[in-house]
Amino acid sequence: MSTKQRIKVLISVIGLDGHFTGAEIVSRFLMDAGMEVVYLGIYQTPEMIVNAAIQESVDVIGISSHASNYEQINLLIDLLKKNNMSTIPVICGGSIPKQYAEALVKKGVSKIFPPQSTSDSIVNYIVSTVKRENVTGKLNG
Amino acid sequence: MVEHIVEKVINGDVKVAAKLIRDIDDGVQGTREILKSLHRHTGNAYIIGITGAPGVGKSTVVDQMIRELRKNGKTVGVLAIDPTSPLSGGAILGDRVRMQRHSLDEGVFIRSLATRGQFGGLTQSTRSAIDVLDAMGKDYIIIETVGVGQDEIDIAKSAHTTVIVVVPGMGDHVQAIKAGIFEVGDIFLVNKSDRPDAERTLNDIKTMIDMTRKKFKKEGWEPSVLMAEAVSNKGIVELLNEIEKHRKSRKALSRESILRHKKAIVRFELIDMIKSRLVQEALNHITESLEFQECLDCIIGGAKDPYSACDELLSAKLSFLE
Amino acid sequence: MKRETDYGYEIKPAYTPADIEGMDYAKDVGDPGVYPFVRGYHPNGYRSRVWTRRMTAGLGSSKRTNEVLKQYREMGQTQGMLVICDRPNAMPIDADHPVGRREAGVLGWHGASLLEFEELMDGIPLTGQSITLLGSSAMSAIRLAYIVILAEKRGVELKEVHGSVTEYPFCSTFGQTDHLPLDLLIKLWLDSSEYIVRNKIHMRSGILSQHFQESGGNNAQALAVEIAQLKELLGLLVNERGLDFDDVAFLPYELSSIGMRFFEEIAKVRALRRMFAKMARETFKAKSEKACQLLISVHTSGRTMTYQQPLNNIARCAIETLAGAIAGCTAIDNACLDNAHAEPSPFAARMSLNTQHIVSDETGVTDVTDPLAGSYFVEYLTNKVEAEAYKILQQIEDQGGMIAAVKKGYIHTMMEESARKKQKEIESGERLIVGANELVIPPEEDDDIPIQSVEASDSEEIAKRMEEWKKTRDVPLLEEKIAQLYKDAKKGDKYNLMPSIIEAVKAYGTAGEIMGVIRMAHGFHYDPLEMISCPFDV
Repeated sequence: MSTKQRIKVLISVIGLDGHFTGAEIVSRFLMDAGMEVVYLGIYQTPEMIVNAAIQESVDVIGISSHASNYEQINLLIDLLKKNNMSTIPVICGGSIPKQYAEALVKKGVSKIFPPQSTSDSIVNYIVSTVKRENVTGKLNG
Repeated sequence: MVEHIVEKVINGDVKVAAKLIRDIDDGVQGTREILKSLHRHTGNAYIIGITGAPGVGKSTVVDQMIRELRKNGKTVGVLAIDPTSPLSGGAILGDRVRMQRHSLDEGVFIRSLATRGQFGGLTQSTRSAIDVLDAMGKDYIIIETVGVGQDEIDIAKSAHTTVIVVVPGMGDHVQAIKAGIFEVGDIFLVNKSDRPDAERTLNDIKTMIDMTRKKFKKEGWEPSVLMAEAVSNKGIVELLNEIEKHRKSRKALSRESILRHKKAIVRFELIDMIKSRLVQEALNHITESLEFQECLDCIIGGAKDPYSACDELLSAKLSFLE
Repeated sequence: MKRETDYGYEIKPAYTPADIEGMDYAKDVGDPGVYPFVRGYHPNGYRSRVWTRRMTAGLGSSKRTNEVLKQYREMGQTQGMLVICDRPNAMPIDADHPVGRREAGVLGWHGASLLEFEELMDGIPLTGQSITLLGSSAMSAIRLAYIVILAEKRGVELKEVHGSVTEYPFCSTFGQTDHLPLDLLIKLWLDSSEYIVRNKIHMRSGILSQHFQESGGNNAQALAVEIAQLKELLGLLVNERGLDFDDVAFLPYELSSIGMRFFEEIAKVRALRRMFAKMARETFKAKSEKACQLLISVHTSGRTMTYQQPLNNIARCAIETLAGAIAGCTAIDNACLDNAHAEPSPFAARMSLNTQHIVSDETGVTDVTDPLAGSYFVEYLTNKVEAEAYKILQQIEDQGGMIAAVKKGYIHTMMEESARKKQKEIESGERLIVGANELVIPPEEDDDIPIQSVEASDSEEIAKRMEEWKKTRDVPLLEEKIAQLYKDAKKGDKYNLMPSIIEAVKAYGTAGEIMGVIRMAHGFHYDPLEMISCPFDV
């Protein structure tokens, strides 16, 4: 890996959820771990998130969900598939009940981080999941 | 392969263009060849630099500019540059937050970049990213920077029109912009003009322009100062009109002036490109050598002082420096 | 383990008279019912009136929420009802908005029109219990209109209705789904507040520290922010709207977030009563004793409810409820045991109501007023948190007050830094949370609890109903009222829009429509998300 390269992560709150603190804390510790974080803020629809992910050419999409709008995450996964972007891992953090979490993983979410997850666990997961050859091989891929 | 990518970019393929910018930014091998082929498709976009300290509302200004330009049917590319943390090397690129309402608009392409900042790398990758957006056929390219450091000043110089955004009530701040970036400003925008002291800030800037008039080298143009309240879209149409005026003033110059001007910019950019490649490659050459590692050990072990180590490495690896 | 207050001061192994040296009981504390009201406002405490024990309701359609409210009444919740609105409504956009239809009814009640309020209150009395609607500031004026109109329709004396349906304009700064520019939120809040005060309506307005604290702020910051908000907002009502402070003082109520720092939570509420009393008397020159009393309700903290081993939250909820009760308050609502998972299930709601009754009826806490007064530790903590809060308050004042501090991002940074510090303390094990970083069990062994679900089809149903229903309205009448509202909204900040909003609500204008035209009159897009355009020709 060239010293210039950085893991690039998109962090967004999905739907009409106004709770931004979690997403901001995560953005901050990903930055502290040397990653570049494109932060979208609140009120983002799945469509807006996918378009931003395309324009920003990110390695990972991180979604903060504070209860109950899982339907929007399903929609996001569908849109990524439609755009041939399923190789980009989607990770979710927030208050997602166990049974919904299982359904989301089945749907295509790569990992769910429940409340009280440590920053290390999130950083390590991203580092181990993002395969850099995906990036360097981008133009061919 | 190269031609295939070039063709996709000039046909406006967002995904390919986005990946290309990522590869440029990451310094991936092979992007240089693509840029070479892409270059003949550039030169059509009008490039606007938006510069100002954090918190002056640059992103909101850009957001409103996009909206107005889109109303007139113009396509827009945006490069929003945020600083890299010197400690971790990471960055939070948060400018999109204010512009996300345009994310579903196919006529708008927004891209965030971190300064990463070493040896003119930012300047080079930003210029290349501008080329990509230009080749995609964007009518306007807006570059948003904090305006700190030589790299960002150089980027501001590359823009056809550079707008410097300030807010009232930051007395020292007006002084601060004088330090490096003031002279590259074509238009000054006093944002958040509903705040007290807006008039004073406006007058302060006018005075400073008068005082430093000689340093503004752009022929046929007197830097102007405007007021705006970007949050409620006040003063943005006026800003775009002023930018248009500046654009026309450039066209109105004599052929010789235009040519001279153009040559100066090309010269500046080429030197810049050579400079950054030289430094980058020379540095890679040295730091990746065995001797470099040996010198490090020697300095730590006390067998060598860093001054001598530097002399030795330079003369061994870059013989012409003697 | 860290032995520090929530706001970072070391705690000693024991406290003695030396720690409260110089404290003058009569001047600094006073008996219950006596200025500066550290010990509460009633000499007899809960013997005069036990706090309102209530649960949050609001999920799915208005009819469904109405059923839940009726169930709660049967379960014994008769002193007051508390309904929270859904996110589209908080914004507000209507259920038939392309984004609204994805989340209508998901996290609360979609109360976008008078029709929905009528359905919500069907068979439920407007009087004899407090009516509280919560969820965003943007809906304040419209919700107040619901109350005014329904009282009129039912032939109920408006003065007989009490509760709270309006909220402070800083919600969105603290993570609530409000999508109006701050200046417009402030203007509309002033309008609804002025209307309440001038018409002597017994409705309170929530000026809360709860959202700030639930987003990560600490106890001292929460006090400072609460006082800064009250100072600025009440100040605007007095100075800009020309109201008398002694009338204005009846308007606000605070919802204090009570977490697990048992003694500190109690000290915080005690200190708040004193800080408000002093501000009322010294800054606002309050004439009556009553005007020095800030109504305080308690919300037991959702932030402390863990995702892991949710049944542990029953213990947390009980401890926090006891703290709220000891601190002295007018009402308590709980974040339930399933708070980190979903909206309260009937199981969790019953558990929280039972918890409150266990505390009020079995522990003896209602027998004695402010039972911890005179404790060296609690009096010390009360003084300490107050002193620390005054320091932070000064910093907010230095920024130019609450509004300026919010606009400059000062409050946001304060909140974010505090949240980050708390996160770090948990990760490093300096603060222990059972189930999260202590006595952890594998996820597969975790408790199964019932989960309250709302399906996407429920949202779609609410959306479709609204689409159809909108066509059945008296359109010419609605158009006339909307046009008038638009005209009035252009008349400047001091022109009170309440009467025009009431007229538009009466004509069954929806929240999205009413706020949309007000937004337009102020130069913004009709739709906060800029996806749909205004259906009216204004």
